[in-house]
Amino acid sequence: MKQRKNKPSRSFQKQQSRTGYVFFFPWMIGFLIFTLFPFLYTIYLSFHKVSLNVLGWTTAFNGIDNYVTALLRNPNFTPALIQFFLSEIVYVPTILIISFILAILLNGKFRFRTAFRIIYFLPVIVISGSVMNQLMNSGNVQIGNVRRIFIYQIMESYSPALADVIAFLFNNFAIVLWFTGIPIVLFLNGLQKINPQLFEAAQIDGATSWQILWKITIPIIRPILLVASIFTVVQLGMFPINPVYGMIQTAIFDTVGGLGVASSYAWIYSLVVLVLIGAMFFILRDPSKDVYVVNIREEQAEKRRKQLKSDKFRASMDRFFKKGKEATDDEA
Amino acid sequence: MKLKLERPKVNTSKLKRKLLGYNISDGLVYRIAVYILLVAIAYVFLYPLLRMISMTFMSSADIINPEIDWVPQNWSITNLRVAWSVLSMPNTILNSLWYSGTLALAQTFISAMTGFAFARYQFKFKNFWFAMVLMSFIIPVPVVLIPRWMMFITAQNMTGIKMIGTVFPQLLMAIAGQGVYSAILILIFFNFFKMIPVVLDEAAKIDGASSWQVFYHIILKMSVPTIATVFLFSFVWNYNESYITATFLRSALKLMPLQLGLFDSIFEKMSANVPGASGAPGGQFRINESFKMAATLITMAPMMIMYLFVQKQFVEGIEKTGITGE
Repeated sequence: MKQRKNKPSRSFQKQQSRTGYVFFFPWMIGFLIFTLFPFLYTIYLSFHKVSLNVLGWTTAFNGIDNYVTALLRNPNFTPALIQFFLSEIVYVPTILIISFILAILLNGKFRFRTAFRIIYFLPVIVISGSVMNQLMNSGNVQIGNVRRIFIYQIMESYSPALADVIAFLFNNFAIVLWFTGIPIVLFLNGLQKINPQLFEAAQIDGATSWQILWKITIPIIRPILLVASIFTVVQLGMFPINPVYGMIQTAIFDTVGGLGVASSYAWIYSLVVLVLIGAMFFILRDPSKDVYVVNIREEQAEKRRKQLKSDKFRASMDRFFKKGKEATDDEA
Repeated sequence: MKLKLERPKVNTSKLKRKLLGYNISDGLVYRIAVYILLVAIAYVFLYPLLRMISMTFMSSADIINPEIDWVPQNWSITNLRVAWSVLSMPNTILNSLWYSGTLALAQTFISAMTGFAFARYQFKFKNFWFAMVLMSFIIPVPVVLIPRWMMFITAQNMTGIKMIGTVFPQLLMAIAGQGVYSAILILIFFNFFKMIPVVLDEAAKIDGASSWQVFYHIILKMSVPTIATVFLFSFVWNYNESYITATFLRSALKLMPLQLGLFDSIFEKMSANVPGASGAPGGQFRINESFKMAATLITMAPMMIMYLFVQKQFVEGIEKTGITGE
């Protein structure tokens, strides 16, 4: 009886799994061929000297020579990488904070809301590498000059590299703002999903807007913050703001170094990006959640244990007294 | 007496309420502050574009003139005309449109299929594959670009079919779901399909529909606005993409952003052929910012015009479904 009941459901599951794979198949094959294999193959290539001849590609092992070339022999790569790293550290929080503020402002109901949303989203439509290059080279993105500010000059004396990045941030502030397009939409989407009753309840309890922001909005929106930050890290890497990107492309077509050096560039660069994304995960993971749940569970378990104990105690006491009573009754 | 004493009191409190509101966020002061902030930020957003438009219409004398800041003194469309011919215009834009259109179609279809598989079916290692979809977004493009390029060179040498310099490599990658930002498109579809009630699928299945019929007749037909949104995003991203395209196309086909990237060198070459006008400093056909800005404007224009008409799809489409899920 039990077997007959189970059998059709199992075959249904199998069928489900099969149909699922049919729909999923093109992507899976594409992923294996065009993403996973290349990803691993680049690691392999980065330890080899690659050359193209009549027979096709030939690779010859040459140890860490490519990495030595990338990090020590090429005078441009390491500074570019450091600049990229610093710029991500400065830009990502800037972009996230500005887009979060804009999302909160845009979430209210007021006149011209749609117009503002259209303006803030416009950069997503027009931004491209060459457009950005042209705008930046023509000096059309510079609104003020940050180098005249005193605090900036102090910073420059401490760390010229970081100061360069910050000068770039303010000189090209408009372009950096252009990266907020998608994060704003993500945040808006998250804000609209929050149940308004939560805010009302907090207001009735006398919470100020500031408290509501920190105790309700930000904890709820934390996962979206993570997604938006990853998106920003990835997107910032894809434009001429990032000096490493173009360097890898020229290295691909460079006949002297060959693809081996290019792959070692690409691999070092990706490692930096992946480390950054890992750091995002680490910073924005939800620390309170697991601890909180565990605490509640433990508390409940403890309560139940105590309850059980006291119940048992009471029961035994009851029994004891009953016995005593019965005994006295009997005696009587 | 009493009334006189009370009246000003009521007035001030009314005024105060109007200015600050019961809650600070409905007061007039707050609203004005928000507007000022929004307008200021919008100005920063639009600053490069406004400068670009203003410079496009400046003559070469206006560019050098330090007194002219925003409004050109001698309006001219020479820049536009020159940039138009340097970009070899009608051809380039047509190329760009069909190129990105084809890729976008392929990408949209595959993303819909993949999103459907994730939203509706339980298959083995589903969570693993879902993580892989996210990974495919995180992995930087350069790291996978080199082997991809080698693969297509090898395929080209083995089969004798010309691949580098055609649409083929990128189309193949788009069909295989590895185009520009494919993971995002999949997530948009995934989130939307999850919102369609499963009961509809089940009803159709009871009536004898196959999975493909369910996919086409129910899911796809119900999600036309989402399909439009995804297609538009894919179109825009493919149009603006120049890194992968430059690697696989080199300069075989003239596309908008690529031409803009090469604008300076093409301009030099072309202006050398103009008799009498070249070389002379300050001459009419010496490259300057206004030519570049005109070219940038032309490159952006198709997308901006499209955005004017379908901005609702862009902004609301992604805002309603979201790409993050719960």
